Amino acid sequence: MAPVSLEKLTKVYPNGFEAVHEFDLEVADGEFMILVGPSGCGKTTAMRMVAGLEEISSGVLRIDGVVMNDVSPRDRDIAMVFQNYALYPHMTVGENIGFALKMKHIPKDEIEKKVRETAEILGLTEWIDRKPAQLSGGQRQRVAMGRAIVREPKVFLMDEPLSNLDAKLRVQMRAEVARIQRRLGVATIYVTHDQVEAMTMGDRVAVMRSGVVLQCDKPQTIYDHPLNLFVAGFMGSPSMNLFEVHLGEGGRTLFLGTQKVELPATVLAAKPSLVKFANKDVVVGIRPESLMIAGTKTNDNAKDFVFFEGDVDLVEALGSEILVHFSTDAHRVEAEGVYSDDAEGLDAGLITQRGEGVARVPPETQLVIGERVRLQVNPKRLFFFDPATGLALSE
Amino acid sequence: MKSVVSTDAQSPQGTTDSLSSKLRRKRKNGVAGYAFVSGYFILLALFGVAPAVYAICLAFTSTGGHFVGLSNFIKTGEDFRFIPAFENVAEYLLIWLGSLVVIVIGLALMLHSIARKVSAAFRFVFYLPGALAGAASVLVWLFMLDPTVSPWRLFLGVFGFQNLGQTILPGHLPLIFAIIAFWAGAGGWIVVTYGALNNIPNELIEAAELDGAGPLQTAIRIKLPLIKKWITFMLILAFAAGTQLFVEPQLVGEASLGLISPTWSPNELAYYFAFQNNNFNYAAAISVDLLVIGLLCAAVLVFRTKLFEVE
Amino acid sequence: MRFFNRVWTRTFSYIVLLAFTAFFMVPVIWLLFSPFKTDHQLISENPFALGTLENLGHAVRVMFTFEDYSLLNWLKNSAIYSFGGIFIALIFSIPAGYGLAHTQFIGRRTLLGITLFVMIMPATALVLPLFLEANSVHAVGTPLAVILPFSFFPFGVYLAYIFYSSSVPKDLLAAARIDGCNEWDVFRRIALPLARPIVALVTFFAFVANWNNFFLPFVMLPNSTNYPLPIGLQDLLSTTPAFNPGQGGQVGIYRPELAVATIVAMAPVMIVFLFAQRSLVSGLLAGSTKE
Ligand SMILES: Nc1ncnc2c1ncn2[C@@H]1O[C@H](COP(=O)(O)OP(=O)(O)OP(=O)(O)O)[C@@H](O)[C@H]1O
Ligand SMILES: [Mg+2]
Repeated sequence: MAPVSLEKLTKVYPNGFEAVHEFDLEVADGEFMILVGPSGCGKTTAMRMVAGLEEISSGVLRIDGVVMNDVSPRDRDIAMVFQNYALYPHMTVGENIGFALKMKHIPKDEIEKKVRETAEILGLTEWIDRKPAQLSGGQRQRVAMGRAIVREPKVFLMDEPLSNLDAKLRVQMRAEVARIQRRLGVATIYVTHDQVEAMTMGDRVAVMRSGVVLQCDKPQTIYDHPLNLFVAGFMGSPSMNLFEVHLGEGGRTLFLGTQKVELPATVLAAKPSLVKFANKDVVVGIRPESLMIAGTKTNDNAKDFVFFEGDVDLVEALGSEILVHFSTDAHRVEAEGVYSDDAEGLDAGLITQRGEGVARVPPETQLVIGERVRLQVNPKRLFFFDPATGLALSE
Repeated sequence: MKSVVSTDAQSPQGTTDSLSSKLRRKRKNGVAGYAFVSGYFILLALFGVAPAVYAICLAFTSTGGHFVGLSNFIKTGEDFRFIPAFENVAEYLLIWLGSLVVIVIGLALMLHSIARKVSAAFRFVFYLPGALAGAASVLVWLFMLDPTVSPWRLFLGVFGFQNLGQTILPGHLPLIFAIIAFWAGAGGWIVVTYGALNNIPNELIEAAELDGAGPLQTAIRIKLPLIKKWITFMLILAFAAGTQLFVEPQLVGEASLGLISPTWSPNELAYYFAFQNNNFNYAAAISVDLLVIGLLCAAVLVFRTKLFEVE
Repeated sequence: MRFFNRVWTRTFSYIVLLAFTAFFMVPVIWLLFSPFKTDHQLISENPFALGTLENLGHAVRVMFTFEDYSLLNWLKNSAIYSFGGIFIALIFSIPAGYGLAHTQFIGRRTLLGITLFVMIMPATALVLPLFLEANSVHAVGTPLAVILPFSFFPFGVYLAYIFYSSSVPKDLLAAARIDGCNEWDVFRRIALPLARPIVALVTFFAFVANWNNFFLPFVMLPNSTNYPLPIGLQDLLSTTPAFNPGQGGQVGIYRPELAVATIVAMAPVMIVFLFAQRSLVSGLLAGSTKE
């Protein structure tokens, strides 16, 4: 039985705003579930409904098979890590960690033992008698974690627990949180903004937008097979290049702006539904790492590739790789969450601009700004989306 | 594992229990809220609302308990002591509020333009007499105004005052009460005004200086407009409190050998009706007059300024 | 030109500030000096001439033994009324401020609005109505007739409300709920321990207001054994020959003795002022702004 199951959970705030719409989610035993989505899409709201801090407008929440809609937070046996930690300022680290146990009337010596163990795990032993105000950000974060894990709850809820840390500490804590979760094997829902956290930490990822779950699957599956434009554009950094193109007769060619690009027969074979878009517009997506500068890699089986040209605008050398910003005269499609304000539907969020794109190439590549380069991509790595619905074309 | 794009299929029972659950939740949450405010609510009802309501009831009834409409208000209004009492207080308020605007703001501006440490010392000194509010301040000023013992005796002599009776002539009282009120109360307002001035971003004042404004120009054209709402706040509160004058005329009257009317201020008049004439209905009528003034002041502050916006 | 302008402004500022320092401080200093002198010295000598400890001893003795230690009785009464009122006010205003800030219930905004109104309205406006009310239930003359109205302190509720809504984040309380607290535990274990600064602030303001209150005890307590200090001062004023030459001199209350009584009346507030000075100035602002 799934520790947590959300069935059509909906939240309508008193002012009439629907922050979460028919949210379905099942978190398995020991599973690490990530919730991502742009700011304001309802992640916190969904999590607070699970915690019992926000009233559920409709739908059913079950924890271990028991309906929890009307159970108060203290009886749900969940632990939560807040974005701002919410440490009790008047209690020491030890008291903070042990507070929940104290509220369960567990004997003092047992509380002390458990607090000590937890502090040990988190490397907090040294600070156990300090007040939160005397701790660094990273230490506070650990106390917040400690407060959650000491309880051995049925479910962990974490709302952007690392977002207040600096970049280095975040990397370190990211691994630590994942490690602790594996070790305790407690079902976890983890909200984040961070691409890397979303890809690396969880067993599964649920991508949200405007209160709706768009896709929920293993991170790699989501990355490789995004169900729609929004998920495709949201997951991955830099995000997927999306161009609106015109498909030629029989789906054998496409027009990227004024460029005519030949499509090998394998493309059509892999995506038969593409035929329906012959002589129509379609959105094509290419991940930056799929793009290569033509002629730089000699052993490529170049005849099966798709080629097009672009002007180099900007070169960002990151050391391990180079990000090449180029432009074409095609329409670029923006499916970022920043435009999620209008919840009309995916197509309404599309903004087309000048055809800029990004390619991620090896560091030794020689490039000159302003130069026109020939880009190549393996046709297997092309994504196609219906511009009207935003849905990916089925295989 | 299956991929889920939210669809409209399946699970229709989601909404069935939502209404009853909503009600239960509301009630539970509400109960806690009521429990926390209940004690205060009772105090508010007993000592805030009830006396006001009871006074209003008395004000509209006769001694025998019959409803008499506005009669009590008219009768007290026509009383020969009514108009003078309000005139006295009006004269006092004019001086007191005028000095607040001119002197308090002037001093706060001066304090704001000098070194912080020094100004802190001044502010404390100005604020200190606030400890002697009420009866103590009146007593102290009776000494100050008595030319036989006053440290200001030379100053009083310039005006030709020889004894206390001459200084506290009825015509001088509004000024005297304003001085006492200023002495005990101005310090607090100076601190508040100074605080408001301190909230003005420094860059703004520096920008004005770069634009060529001198200290006086900066004060008048930049600082004053920015603390306007605090000045309003101060004036309304001081006005509301000033209308309620009681201790000062009562104590000074005590020391004046009957020279000063025992019904000098409206509150004294109400007190007089209640205790000398045993006419609680008249007393209530004047109390209601004063209550209405207080309520109007509060209403102006709450609704007209943005100082007390809650949430 | 600009430079001279500036220097001139500054000099002028200091002259004015020092003049007002004299205005505010001379009465206080004079008051503190006067018990060291005899009534005659007060009249004949330089106002700031030093007196003797002997004179002080005499004035204090006369004043304290006056009418069978009335002064001590008034002091005791003032303390009982002030602290009784503060105690009840605190017990009710802290939870009320918390409830208004962090719980939802029907009528919450209305209660907040009424609190605001009553807080702004001068307390004096309700004194006679309170008397009429107390009179109708025959409570006039009992200490409770003063203590209970004192305990209704809407400004304290407002301060607590501002404190809880601005300084105690909702997530902190949510964390406590998840950690197993019921609503009462959330208040008692989290919100209440955090209220310490607000307790100090409310105590200060309520103390100053209660201690100096004249009108309410004046109408409520006709019996002289119940007088608090301000009414006691008035009583002294009406019996002393210093202001009422006709009065019998046998009571022995002259100006130095009156000064002793005044100092006793103001000393507690003055001490609180001195101790609270720092937090006071910020508190005064915290009370008036919402930030
Ligand atoms: N109490 C409330 N009343 C009305 N609307 C609210 C309330 N709380 C949140 N919202 C709205 O609900 C939406 C979802 O809010 P939520 O806090 O769940 O977003 P989020 O996904 O957690 O965003 P972020 O990533 O910025 O934390 C937002 O548009 C927000 O404005
Ligand atoms: Mg959030």
